[in-house]
Amino acid sequence: MDSLHNSQLAERAHRVRHNAIVMAEVQGQGYLAQALGVADVLTVTYLHAMQCRPEDPEWEDRDRFLLSVGHYGIAHYAILTEAGYLPEDELVTYGCDDSRLPMSGMTSYTPGAEMSGGSIGLGLPMAVGMGLGLKRKQSDSFIYTLMGDGELAEGPTWEAANSAAHYKLDNIIAIVDFNGVQADGPSRDIMSTEPIVDKFEAFGFYVQRVDGNDLPALVEAFNNAREHKEARPRIIICDTKMGKGVDSLERREKNHFIRLEGDDWPRVFEELESGRAK
Amino acid sequence: MSTAQKQKTTPAAPVIIASSVDEGYPTTMAPFGNALVALAEERPEIVGMSADLAKYTDIHIFAQAFPDRFYQMGMSEQLMATAAGGLSKEGFIPFATTYATFAARRCYDFVSQAVAEQDANVKLIGGLPGLTTGYGPSHQSTDDLAIFRAMPNLTVIDPCDAHEIEQLVPAIANYNGPVYTRILRGAVARVLDEYDYRFELGKAALLRGGNDVLVIATGFMTMRALDAAKDLQKDGIDVAVLHVPTIKPLDEATIAREAAKSGRLVVVAENHTVVGGLGEAVAGCLMRADVSCSMRQIGLPDKFLDAGTLSVLQDRYGISRQAVGNQIRGWL
Repeated sequence: MDSLHNSQLAERAHRVRHNAIVMAEVQGQGYLAQALGVADVLTVTYLHAMQCRPEDPEWEDRDRFLLSVGHYGIAHYAILTEAGYLPEDELVTYGCDDSRLPMSGMTSYTPGAEMSGGSIGLGLPMAVGMGLGLKRKQSDSFIYTLMGDGELAEGPTWEAANSAAHYKLDNIIAIVDFNGVQADGPSRDIMSTEPIVDKFEAFGFYVQRVDGNDLPALVEAFNNAREHKEARPRIIICDTKMGKGVDSLERREKNHFIRLEGDDWPRVFEELESGRAK
Repeated sequence: MSTAQKQKTTPAAPVIIASSVDEGYPTTMAPFGNALVALAEERPEIVGMSADLAKYTDIHIFAQAFPDRFYQMGMSEQLMATAAGGLSKEGFIPFATTYATFAARRCYDFVSQAVAEQDANVKLIGGLPGLTTGYGPSHQSTDDLAIFRAMPNLTVIDPCDAHEIEQLVPAIANYNGPVYTRILRGAVARVLDEYDYRFELGKAALLRGGNDVLVIATGFMTMRALDAAKDLQKDGIDVAVLHVPTIKPLDEATIAREAAKSGRLVVVAENHTVVGGLGEAVAGCLMRADVSCSMRQIGLPDKFLDAGTLSVLQDRYGISRQAVGNQIRGWL
């Protein structure tokens, strides 16, 4: 596996954040805080862990990536662009009519988008079906699926967790972006999912919990997930900071959905640049 | 029926799940399961799934023949529908079985978003269609056709008999896209053999001509329509029967052409609520085709149906052979 040095990963993650802000500015709004928060996780997923060929998105031996949280389309296009699936000049079409980058991720629109998410709770059940299929084909490919912590309140995720362990689907690496915020407020108040590590362990998963904005820790966790020997599904709980890399968005109280005036956007880019210097 | 009325009835063991085979028809055991096994011998990409209802949907025969190609998903229908979408992404053709009620009511969003929207090559199989059990509303799938008709990109089928089920299994496997089909299980009548009939996806078939009445029927109501047509013949009433196994996409050209033939009463018959099934689909088709005719509907009432003996219930709700004949007589 080609692995990028941590400082290179940091530079790539910075560009992923930049891509996300470019898209958010086009619409003046969006799920930008999630995209900034999960940028490090997606950078390590695509640019360190996954076997993929951006020029051939349907390469049979690729690792699969399922975006369960469809509203993270903005985050997904940001990393797909950085990984080379999409040209950078397409970012400004985000959410526009006839764009390949709809606000909620769908498989028929975007190269590298392997499922239509949006209706929350489809990622892990879909991964179970693909996991069974890959085993039937005697494939060594992994399936990554990105979920949110609020999403874990959806029942089918647990039907899927149950069956992934039953079928010993060690080719599933589930990722939870644990940012602690959902549409109606803090997830600990809306519907707490803790103790999340204990729950997934009880369901038979190999569980790791890491700081999702710590690149070396993420690299280690993804390596562990891939190399783990037991025939169990894997999950990495990634504690992330909403708005990471842009001070004012990190500090903003309500940041599930960001809406800014046109004059505010240059400041967001500036904050991202000054954050990098820190 | 009120609680008081129910208490007055004499206790008797009701025949809750019975065959809906009318008198005089030969039967075939488990036509779906056996047809799937036969096809799977040649098609290694076919896999089977069930949500703890393999025995009751006849796919247990496939599971016994190909144990490593069968995935038991437990009582997790939403998982099964979505995982079927995942298996199809890896190139397999999953035949996923449960009862029609659970497929339609419990899994709607999952079938919509993980199967139909993603154009997944999934074959969703619903047992106990319409009123084929006396268990009560939890198991009586009176609304699955309406529910699935509303879903874009999904093909919807209601077969009549064993002959048709045997033919539709390879037909839907050959069609690359999402399909929902009802099935009949256990001892299933053979009705259509004698009509030189072959199932074609999306095609209606005129099984019998007639000058007084045209019955447009789907599912086993085609059998009931053919039976009633024989009964009515004795009274000099000449009944044509148009069989419409594919509810969606509907064979609008054939339906409009037959309905437009002047002078006949058009009756639509289905083992389904009168809301949103074949009756309203035909009405919509004739509206778009600007065809005017005298039209009546035979179907289950828009209510949660009683529990009890199946033959009693089919008579009570107007879908038995006799009830079909009586309704048509009454309209003439």
